[in-house]
Amino acid sequence: MTTQMKRIAINFGGGYVPGLNAVITGAVLAASELGWEAVGIRDGFEGVLFPDRYPDGGLMKLTPQIVENLAGATGCILGTAAQSDPFHVRAINVENMVEEVDRSDELLGMIKKEKIEAVISIVGARALSILWKLNRKGLRTVCVPKSVENDVAATMLSFGFNSALSFVAEMLERCRQAAQSARRIGVVEVLGEHAGWLALQAGMAVCADAVLIPEIPYDLRKVAAKLREKAKAGRTFGLVVVAEGAQPLAGLHAPSRTSDSKMKAALSPGATGNGGFHVIERSGQVAAEVALGIQRLTDRETYPLVLGQLARGGTPTVVDRQLGLGYGAGAVRALDSEQSGVMIVFQPPDLKFVPMAEAINKFRTVPAKSEFVQITRALGISLGD
Amino acid sequence: MENQLVHPKAPTGLVLNIQHFCTHDGPGIRTTVFLKGCSLRCKWCSNPESIRPTPELAYNPGKCIGEKQCGYCLKNVCPESAIYVVGSGDRADDKVRVNWDLCTNCGKCVPVCPTNALYLFGQEMTVGQVLDEVEQDSPFYRESGGGMTLSGGECQLQPDFAAALLAGAHERGINTAIETASNVPWDFMAKVLPHVDTVLHDIKLTDPERHKKWTGADNARIRANLKRAYETFPDKKFIARTPLIPGVNDDEEHVRATLAFIKPYKNVVDYELLPYMRFGEGKYGFLGRIYEMQDFNPPTPETLKRLRAIIDEAFGRSGKPARE
Repeated sequence: MTTQMKRIAINFGGGYVPGLNAVITGAVLAASELGWEAVGIRDGFEGVLFPDRYPDGGLMKLTPQIVENLAGATGCILGTAAQSDPFHVRAINVENMVEEVDRSDELLGMIKKEKIEAVISIVGARALSILWKLNRKGLRTVCVPKSVENDVAATMLSFGFNSALSFVAEMLERCRQAAQSARRIGVVEVLGEHAGWLALQAGMAVCADAVLIPEIPYDLRKVAAKLREKAKAGRTFGLVVVAEGAQPLAGLHAPSRTSDSKMKAALSPGATGNGGFHVIERSGQVAAEVALGIQRLTDRETYPLVLGQLARGGTPTVVDRQLGLGYGAGAVRALDSEQSGVMIVFQPPDLKFVPMAEAINKFRTVPAKSEFVQITRALGISLGD
Repeated sequence: MENQLVHPKAPTGLVLNIQHFCTHDGPGIRTTVFLKGCSLRCKWCSNPESIRPTPELAYNPGKCIGEKQCGYCLKNVCPESAIYVVGSGDRADDKVRVNWDLCTNCGKCVPVCPTNALYLFGQEMTVGQVLDEVEQDSPFYRESGGGMTLSGGECQLQPDFAAALLAGAHERGINTAIETASNVPWDFMAKVLPHVDTVLHDIKLTDPERHKKWTGADNARIRANLKRAYETFPDKKFIARTPLIPGVNDDEEHVRATLAFIKPYKNVVDYELLPYMRFGEGKYGFLGRIYEMQDFNPPTPETLKRLRAIIDEAFGRSGKPARE
């Protein structure tokens, strides 16, 4: 049975991943088949909250003709909004003072006024929490998981991961050739704060010498031993892949990552700890630390290299195009079957729907005994443990 | 006369911290009282915990001893389910995390945390409580010519409380100063300034558009307020200050424009440059926020020297000539 839905909207929450347009295409084509109208909201929810910022309006009409050639295109026609949060919108009040205001009720009212009956939102871990709060306040929504780190819980595969993986693997291959030519050990940092899938799978694909991931605390002595062993056999170079969230084993030489502790002690009554400060790591810090550590332990020249945010760019792979089209069309199917507050997930071989709450406060991390870990070990790649 | 301006119903205010033995917040050795709440959002802010006008949760994972050893905060304490652990429990890292998008800063998790990894920034204090603590250091103030400084956040956003604190300090014979960005209604300043001996006020940028870009609001009201303050209180000491941010205002143009603004007023006795130090970085992490200035480096000693020489020259001091 087809519902009486007439108009739906599509938007993005969070940062960019390759090939977001594929999801739009999937949703628009599927909606069109049902005779529904689809619009895109620009830049997260900004298109609704700040329509005046956009010369052509904050909403974009999406037709099959518009999206026809989009699925494989890079970029995102709707824009993204890495820090858009309708519950904390920065504003200047009548007294010229800056403040953060909760505009969530207003947002829901404006969505209603635009006669948008449901929103398909493509979200990462953070935007998922915000969307869930909107859903609890009455927004009818279905979300699509996206993440270049593949760390969204409840799904086997987040949109964007496969494209990032292919790019990172290709770059690692090049790094290895560069290391070979320079006769050095390349230490390459890739995205992965909580989950090491990108480092693990890409590192495995290029047969790196070591892969360090957040799930397995590392001991650089073990990595150095592996590199020395290979050097003894005549290998003149090395390749180590590090996820940005990788941590040394507790008790081992803890890296000095604190900023000025005197100021902290002075200003933050609760922040006067004995080390172990969690500061926001600058991109590249882990690569630099590991490279230095390995150089010290092996007496071989190393160089750190950061791929970091580069993995977010580029065109989608065929796998991601299929997944994006499937997720977009699947989200429409969920709305058609009167579902709301759900996330579409890939649990091979099926696309399924799970309540959004199932993915909140969780990350899909690499289990210690997963097949990937076992294969990596079998290939002789050190995991630093 | 002074006390008539103090609102009698302002017995409490939201205090972030009371810091003893400060030497950079006015003359002599001072005790600085940080009030919570700010009307600007400078991207380089080194006290991000002072920005919001309400108490807020912070979390220091360095102090968390983990789910296995403790885990009290995970046992139905948070009404929003904002506290969680990553992974399945077999990870070495079993420290809790805060979902900042769900947290409402209610503070219910704070009392159950035995290591103070979870804590609240900002507590309601009475004027008496603050002054009693400030007065403990009074021998140092006398020796050094110091006193109490109100800082923030923007201390003038709690005008009644600030005025009561400053007036109370005067009653106890304590010299007073404030650190302010002056982006508040003039009424607030009219309440606070009569009780201040030294006003340390920022001039962050002189161009209105650039001011808005980097601090969140333009500087029209700040300039109007400052001019009015200089004129209304000719006997008070004003010291202009610029937090020197590389690539934002660490140039001669800014320094000269600021000098042009302050020099007509004889009661603006000095202009100080405060080099950006990346102090607040760690605290952004504790609050679950993003520090946008993380790739900036402090200004070089050469830049500082060159810019300070311009100021020395303007104030007729015999500073060493600027190095070309």
